[in-house]
Amino acid sequence: MLRPLQQRAAHWITRRLPSAAIGRKLSLAGTALLGVLLASCAANTINISGSYPSPLVRKIPITVGVYYPEELRNFSFTEIDDYTGDDQYIVNSGETQIELFNTVLPALFENVVMLDSLENRSPELDAVFVPAIEEFQLGLPQKTKLKVYEVWVKYNMRLEEPEGEYIADWVMTAYGKSPTESFQSVDAGVQDATVVALRDLAASFTLGFSGIPEVNEWLAENSKL
Amino acid sequence: MNRSIRSTSSLLFLTLFVLLAGGCTTTEIDEFRQGATSMSSDGSIVILGRRQNNNYETEGDFVNCVAGVVGSGKDGISVVPEREFLDAMFPFFEPRTAPMRTGHLKELMDMDVAATRMNEFGIQYIVWLDGITQRSQQAGSISCTIGPGGGGCFGFGTWQDDSNFEAEIWDLNTLDTVGSISTDAVGQSYMPALVVPIPLIARVEQNACSGLGNQLKQFINGGS
Repeated sequence: MLRPLQQRAAHWITRRLPSAAIGRKLSLAGTALLGVLLASCAANTINISGSYPSPLVRKIPITVGVYYPEELRNFSFTEIDDYTGDDQYIVNSGETQIELFNTVLPALFENVVMLDSLENRSPELDAVFVPAIEEFQLGLPQKTKLKVYEVWVKYNMRLEEPEGEYIADWVMTAYGKSPTESFQSVDAGVQDATVVALRDLAASFTLGFSGIPEVNEWLAENSKL
Repeated sequence: MNRSIRSTSSLLFLTLFVLLAGGCTTTEIDEFRQGATSMSSDGSIVILGRRQNNNYETEGDFVNCVAGVVGSGKDGISVVPEREFLDAMFPFFEPRTAPMRTGHLKELMDMDVAATRMNEFGIQYIVWLDGITQRSQQAGSISCTIGPGGGGCFGFGTWQDDSNFEAEIWDLNTLDTVGSISTDAVGQSYMPALVVPIPLIARVEQNACSGLGNQLKQFINGGS
């Protein structure tokens, strides 16, 4: 019963398509299938973006040079799949980190000067500020069994004299969480939790900057408080 | 003919019964007043969700829902949207920096920048919402199959939702708590499936929202 059908199909294919064309079509289909399979195995890239409000604080009357290290500008975190050991999610947050600091620092300091490198320090600066990320952790609901996406970031903040001498070096942590919602994608959950974490950093940095003992002492010595 | 009418009417009766049972939600509201309240014509309030807990956070959708109820109707109160307020008052009302007690609010209002911005909004009362909706008593199962001739589902599922929320009202004039309102709404939802699943969802959170919102509006307008 099937044989005549197969024969008819084979006859139709050979009549309609020359063998070279069949080969080309098959290899194209194979490539497409392979592409789909590889894409399904690849890590999901999440590019974090967000806008941050300007803090409502009194400006400290100092001129600060700001240098963003390359690692901060291009900061990326890779979440590994516990079962396969493959890359599961790649979270790129460098751009939004810079946007956050670019919003917060001009609101906190009277003058902010962006530095391309730590070699180009103007003597007119009062200090040079260098933020860096030391650690980044991601908590996914499927792993933590909690109904929230969580992001935890550990920063190292460094304040130096224009000549490069140490003023202060302190660690700050930021935490953000976002509740899981029906039909919400992992991308959206991670995005929301990261933005909350960055707002948390901005809040504690703004309110706590003058309270860092070494910073407070330096500001008092320079009659900036 | 008679048999067909009988089976149709019994199906209708069954659907009506399940619908009525599914719609059952019990809402309990408690109010505790500590001071007098009233709204001026150009005054406004802000409703904020508490988000400092580790295991949960008050959902933004619930906060928006309560704000919608408080702001609607003839006796509606002007409510500043939560996101607008949080951005304008940044960084003073973030999860880690928000005042937890009225003592902290006093410290905040001693800062010129914060007090000025608060006055610009014309805020008379701050309402803090804290709570969560939890699902429990899940039972039953539904299985669905699909084949060349078509598909369908068969089974029965049920669950209970419990919404517990508390609103604490702070007076920005006296910098003190003027009262609190709590709501507890419980409802059972059903999902019978005879070929097609029929969701009979109890509107628990919506009932908690409207109950709390209306009581809050009455409370702030000075009613009891």
